[in-house]
Amino acid sequence: MALEIEGVTAGYVKEVPILRDVDLTAGDGLVTVIIGPNGAGKSTLLKVICGYLQAAQGVIRHDGVSLSGLQPKDMLRHGIAYLIQGHSVFPRMSVQDNLELGAWLLGRDRRAIRQAFDDLYTRYPLLRQKRRMLAGDLSGGEQRMLELARLTMTQPKTLLLDEPSVGLMPKLVDSVYQEIARLKEHGYTILIVDQNVRKAMHIADYVYVLKLGENSHHGPRDDIEPRLNAIIREWI
Amino acid sequence: MELSILLDPFILAEVSLQGLIRGSMYGLMACGLSLIFGLMGVKNFSHGEFFMLGAYAMFFVAVIMDMPFILGIGAAAAVLFVFGVLVERTLIRTLRRRAGREWLLDAFVLTIGLMVVLQNLALLTFGSTRRGVPTLIPGGVEIGPIWLTNDRLLILVAAILIVSMLGVFIRYTRMGKAMLATGQHPEAAQTLGIDINRVYTYTFGLGAALAGIAGALLISIFPAYPTVGFHPVIKSIAAVILGGLGNVPGAIAAGVLLGLIEAYTTFFLASGWQHVITAVLVVLVLIVRPYGLFSSAKGERP
Amino acid sequence: MRQESGGTRRPSFLRALTVWRAAKIAVLVALLILVPYVSDSAFITTVFISAVMFGLFAAIYDLMIGYAGLINFGYAGFIAAGAYTSALAWLHFGVSPWLGLLLAGFVCAAIGFFTGLVSLRLRGLYLALMTFFIGEAIRFTISNTPDYTRGMLGLNVAPFPSIFGIDFSRGNYLNYYYLLLVIGAVIMTFMTALVNSKYGLAFQALREDPLATESLGISTTRYKLLNFTIASFLTGIVAGFYAHYLGILSPTPQEFGVPRTVEILTITYVGGRGTLWGSLFSGFLLIGFQEYFRALGAWRLVLFGCLLIFVMLYARRGLAGLKKYVW
Repeated sequence: MALEIEGVTAGYVKEVPILRDVDLTAGDGLVTVIIGPNGAGKSTLLKVICGYLQAAQGVIRHDGVSLSGLQPKDMLRHGIAYLIQGHSVFPRMSVQDNLELGAWLLGRDRRAIRQAFDDLYTRYPLLRQKRRMLAGDLSGGEQRMLELARLTMTQPKTLLLDEPSVGLMPKLVDSVYQEIARLKEHGYTILIVDQNVRKAMHIADYVYVLKLGENSHHGPRDDIEPRLNAIIREWI
Repeated sequence: MELSILLDPFILAEVSLQGLIRGSMYGLMACGLSLIFGLMGVKNFSHGEFFMLGAYAMFFVAVIMDMPFILGIGAAAAVLFVFGVLVERTLIRTLRRRAGREWLLDAFVLTIGLMVVLQNLALLTFGSTRRGVPTLIPGGVEIGPIWLTNDRLLILVAAILIVSMLGVFIRYTRMGKAMLATGQHPEAAQTLGIDINRVYTYTFGLGAALAGIAGALLISIFPAYPTVGFHPVIKSIAAVILGGLGNVPGAIAAGVLLGLIEAYTTFFLASGWQHVITAVLVVLVLIVRPYGLFSSAKGERP
Repeated sequence: MRQESGGTRRPSFLRALTVWRAAKIAVLVALLILVPYVSDSAFITTVFISAVMFGLFAAIYDLMIGYAGLINFGYAGFIAAGAYTSALAWLHFGVSPWLGLLLAGFVCAAIGFFTGLVSLRLRGLYLALMTFFIGEAIRFTISNTPDYTRGMLGLNVAPFPSIFGIDFSRGNYLNYYYLLLVIGAVIMTFMTALVNSKYGLAFQALREDPLATESLGISTTRYKLLNFTIASFLTGIVAGFYAHYLGILSPTPQEFGVPRTVEILTITYVGGRGTLWGSLFSGFLLIGFQEYFRALGAWRLVLFGCLLIFVMLYARRGLAGLKKYVW
């Protein structure tokens, strides 16, 4: 199992845990989606995984390795790429430079970097075309594509995506999900936190429902999807 | 004042050149200040003391050890880089960890404390004597009717050279790009595996080194003494505001502008008024264009 | 730990505690009034005057930074404005220094109001820089107009004239001291009442989160202006006293520039931000220390700076953080 979370309790203040005893497993090569009402602690869970917030209790393992005590900057080295919520391109740097920073962990290994660029530009011909443009001048959809592409420069194993479709024009939302589906085909393990329940459901293999910081339902997509309306009704 | 003097093109050219030379140094200092501000949000009030230490480093190497002045510039840069790194590692980082949301204001106050400490330690160690170097390179060149000493030429050339080198460093090296990225989106930089704490340390060291270089180069105009940094730091803070906080090229341009204003007010009014004019200009800019003369909105284009 | 001396937790001791507290306050006040009188030493009295004066400046500074989060980094320039107003009004227009105190207050209030007005949109660092340049502009204007202010040559200021038969000629330190205590008592009472009123709450809301404050329907603009204007008014009055007590003013950085602002700011921070009275205690501590160690020369300021850095890093509540051990 790529990512295993067992009994995680965490919060910003000790007395007020935002997450209580949360269990979650993201299977290798699968798309796992976390849904839930506002304030369910979905994004907080990703922050705990990535070391922004230390868990008070519980274990988080990636590929069998415990992540406890690691800082955000260590995650990519451990094969975890994290797409933070909102825009995250470096707007006043070129597309090429943005991608180069995505290859930061490759260090000064020129050959590996060139290889990574070749791979990436084959997968994203559009980014090759626009590589000299400032990232901030790309359209919203292109920026999101760049953000996703940038995370894959070092071929991590797992992608954590926090609200990948938020803030995009409706017609671009579909393309983001297509992109995620494509990443899945490349063998990435993907964990998505999403408000856009129905869209996320389409690409999901497995679904977790969080409510008030606790596990509420989980199961394969085909189990959850028929019950979706009932589940959402519980939130209100 | 006679109108004819005001309009004499040679005098105007002479005054402009003076202003340009001082302005280039303010620009160089503002550059470091703006870099630190743009990346870390820290307004470093002890920047003038870094300038002062640079001047002393220059004096030590060029006069006491009687070595070529170019080594003095190198020594100033190296000493201040190390010093800046230490300050960031010990003081600024501790504060960032311990203080909450409002830590930037606290950081400002902290650097004020540092300023007081450094100034008075310098006074205790070196005394209040002005320690200058009369000339670095004797002689000068004649450009038309204007006589330009080699020292001033050196300052101008060095400023241009160093700013260009800085530009190349930031744009084309790995650390430079990491600095740009951290300045634009620290969280995203972190997710790519960049150690932003290390970037901050480097940035602070680099900014301090730039101030040190300015202090070393300017020693023939501003001899080293404990409070020598105060005048340049005010000018460069003003330049950073006028240029738009965090906008490095804007800060350099504003530094040059302030140098010119200083030269003209000193020539046409009493020299004390330059501070009033600088202050009024800054106040006006903060009222009318809080993001600086050269930025259209916060965060737009460096 | 925002506990008030543990009294709220043990209601049965509450009464005893308040009596105990009142006793302690009475002792402090008695010390404040009697020590200079009993010691009969001009040196002690001048140290007490400096301590109370700077303690007051620092407490007023605290009203801005500690309560409303407004940093005035040109504060010494404001003091200069107040001091010179009273001095020049007497010199050029023969205005009595007693009236001069009020006049200084009003001029400073006007400058404070103006500063607040031009920096409405600014916060934090921007505000610090704006006020810094305003303060410097005031100081340089004074030094650049020697025809009126004698600039760097220094301006001689008359002592207060006698009033109610009390003699205020130069050297009569004890009378100056008691005058200052009266002024100080009024100012401290007023500020304590202010911060405990609804205005105090609004100031604190302003400090914590200006945006949220605005959304609660509290006008940040209004309270920012109010805070700046009141603080400047009080500053002007103490500054007027400063001028006539000291007898000579000059617009040097040490007296009215950054070093002075830093001194006051250090007193405030060491006293503990948001405590008002802490500033008075640290005024005594730091000024007493400073006067006692005059022989140390520059080391004094090195220690001052180190103290400020230490407080910023490790004792963020200042002396107020020690209160529970000694008070």
